[in-house]
Amino acid sequence: MSDEAELLQRIRAGAMDEFAELVQRHQSRVFAVLYRYERDPQRLEDLAQETFLKAWRALDQFDARAPFEHWISRIAVRTALDHLRRAKRHQGTVGFDDLGEDVLDWLRHDDQKNELEVHGAAELLQLAMQELSPTDRVIITQLELENRSIKEIAETLNISSIAVRVRGVRARARLKKALEKISQVKTSESPK
Amino acid sequence: MNEQKFKHLLAIAGAEKPPVPSAAFAADMMRLVRGIPRLPRPLTFSLFDQLNRLFPRIATAAAAIILLCFAGEFVCTLTGLPEVGDATAQLATDNLFDVEDL
Repeated sequence: MSDEAELLQRIRAGAMDEFAELVQRHQSRVFAVLYRYERDPQRLEDLAQETFLKAWRALDQFDARAPFEHWISRIAVRTALDHLRRAKRHQGTVGFDDLGEDVLDWLRHDDQKNELEVHGAAELLQLAMQELSPTDRVIITQLELENRSIKEIAETLNISSIAVRVRGVRARARLKKALEKISQVKTSESPK
Repeated sequence: MNEQKFKHLLAIAGAEKPPVPSAAFAADMMRLVRGIPRLPRPLTFSLFDQLNRLFPRIATAAAAIILLCFAGEFVCTLTGLPEVGDATAQLATDNLFDVEDL
């Protein structure tokens, strides 16, 4: 039996304090998954707590057919999806004004020599993704940024593989269009 | 936006490092989970259990079909229509072989 399986068995048997060890082992992964959807540090931490709370409640239902990390990552993605659905009515995390001039220059000019900075690229992508529905946003993030398989995404979202494929293609096209729209906005305006 | 530029953007954005959880995160989690009950382990049924659970429905369905056949035969007898047995014998005679040959 693996070290992690033993740890899970001890927690299930009543060694509640050992759950802290499980949290420590997987917190980085959970934060990494959630950070693709929420950039505000406080809200990110709230979502991570929500993820581990869900995991705690459902711990006895984890059947160990897949590694625990996959299971908790899936809970994190579903938590993020619920969050995006709730937050859809509110303002997005990233606004047009948050984008730096260098990011916009890179976006507007194909022959731009300057390398795009990681943080700026992520902010730009987040802003464009606000044009997508919560489910499409999860699909494109899982496909393009997390390199998850169609089958994995379908299982996580409880939809068919064909639906993931079709929605993925459409979301990709919509994302490109959203980026073009951002590139056409003058610095003094904000995209609608 | 061309495909190459789009892929480049995804590659750079995908490499972003997430923030490190605070040192107190696990301890905070422990304070939260105390007193929160866990959901019970789901009941799993073997194939045999599932058949046992299904059986009453299958038995009821079979009984209903048998009763329907009896009722059909009864109605055919009352109305003077050929019964199912007669029709089957006729069918066999016409299409397969002569009953008299047996």
